[in-house]
Amino acid sequence: MTCREFKHAGASLTLWELSRAQDQQLFSHTDVCHECGAWLQQQRMLASAMQTLRVQTAGREAGPGVERALLRMFRQVPFEATRPVAAHRFTPIALRLSRFFEVGAYVAVAAAIVVGLFLGVRLLEQRTKTAPVQSQSASATTAPAQQNLASAQSVTGKEVALKTHTHPGMSRRLSAAARSTSAQRLNTVAVSQASDDPDYVALMFCDPLICSSDAQVVRMELPATGATSDHDAQLQIADVVVDYDGVVRAVRLVN
Amino acid sequence: MLTDLTDEQLLAQALAGDEDAFTALYRRRQGPVFRFALHMSGSSHVAEEVTQDVFVFLLQRGRDFDPSRGALGAYLFGVARNYVRRALERSYSEAMLHSPADDEAQSLVTEDDPADGIARQQTSTALWKAVLSLPEHYREVVVLCDLQELSYAQAAEALGCAIGTIRSRLHRAHDMLGKKLQHSAAAAPGGVSRVTARWAS
Repeated sequence: MTCREFKHAGASLTLWELSRAQDQQLFSHTDVCHECGAWLQQQRMLASAMQTLRVQTAGREAGPGVERALLRMFRQVPFEATRPVAAHRFTPIALRLSRFFEVGAYVAVAAAIVVGLFLGVRLLEQRTKTAPVQSQSASATTAPAQQNLASAQSVTGKEVALKTHTHPGMSRRLSAAARSTSAQRLNTVAVSQASDDPDYVALMFCDPLICSSDAQVVRMELPATGATSDHDAQLQIADVVVDYDGVVRAVRLVN
Repeated sequence: MLTDLTDEQLLAQALAGDEDAFTALYRRRQGPVFRFALHMSGSSHVAEEVTQDVFVFLLQRGRDFDPSRGALGAYLFGVARNYVRRALERSYSEAMLHSPADDEAQSLVTEDDPADGIARQQTSTALWKAVLSLPEHYREVVVLCDLQELSYAQAAEALGCAIGTIRSRLHRAHDMLGKKLQHSAAAAPGGVSRVTARWAS
């Protein structure tokens, strides 16, 4: 047996086993190796001292005061007699997480219901708003566009007079209806009617794929032909159909 | 009979409000807990305080105990270990200065032969001092395995570590203790060395 094997064998034994070791191999090695012999001697001495200490402290206990204090405390603790210990065992983390996700799922479903209700109400409101306009446009196909224009302008009530210079020495006053959604919708109706109105003169070809229905009818005061100056110019009122790209598609002289 | 019940059954009854069950459990388990705290701290005052704290903890948090994870005895040692650590941190210097050589060792059982008794007492005192001077993680395994006679598996449960860790710590602690005892024997030839010589023979 080498010293290494001796140490390995010694480490695998408890202190008590080592102190009572009867292994001949161990003893034969300690006869040969003084260092290992001293170590075994040391461990035996330790085992004996440990045994003594253990025996001498074996009877030591907490004093009666501790028990009295604990019993006094015990009587003050409110117990829940119906709950067994097993009911409060450690809960696995997976179960806690599943509960967390369960609550999360309930919240998500509730939120989805609320959002669905909100969107449903909004959609219903939108439908109730658009329905009268559609019926109006259907009934107004026979009515003159001018009437729609007048109503659109009365709805918005906002007119902006614009003065632009397209030619030198020549002023042009424009009155444009403000772009509100309701007015825009009515203007759209007016444009669709204006395209059918024979009084309108188309100024350029309007491809149905290009020309959108998002055009506006603008009433303008245009200078009459033959005017030499702004002072002499006679104004001519006209309804002009201006497309979304700003190009005038049609014009109609009002008077 | 309450004495026939296991620790876990007694705990369940105690937590349901049965005072007799709690008393039985306390009387069954307070000794090992007290001795563990005594060996760890070297002070009976600290040991009593720790014992009381452990059982108060059991009353308050006993429902957290899971029998499938280990025995109640090991669980109590684990709780006691934490309370001892706290108590020593609180009054470390006081506990160390108030070593068992001064008062605890005085109460150790003496032999019929006064000379032999004194020698044994000196050896026990020297050993206890050596144990107290060990680093905490070595001291714990020595107290649990050598003085409380727990198996490696039970000590591993109490300390929450692997059995291999217990074995290696214990081996290292024994080496350290052996050297410390030899030092003590050399320093006090009249007492310890005489007993040592007897063991060696």
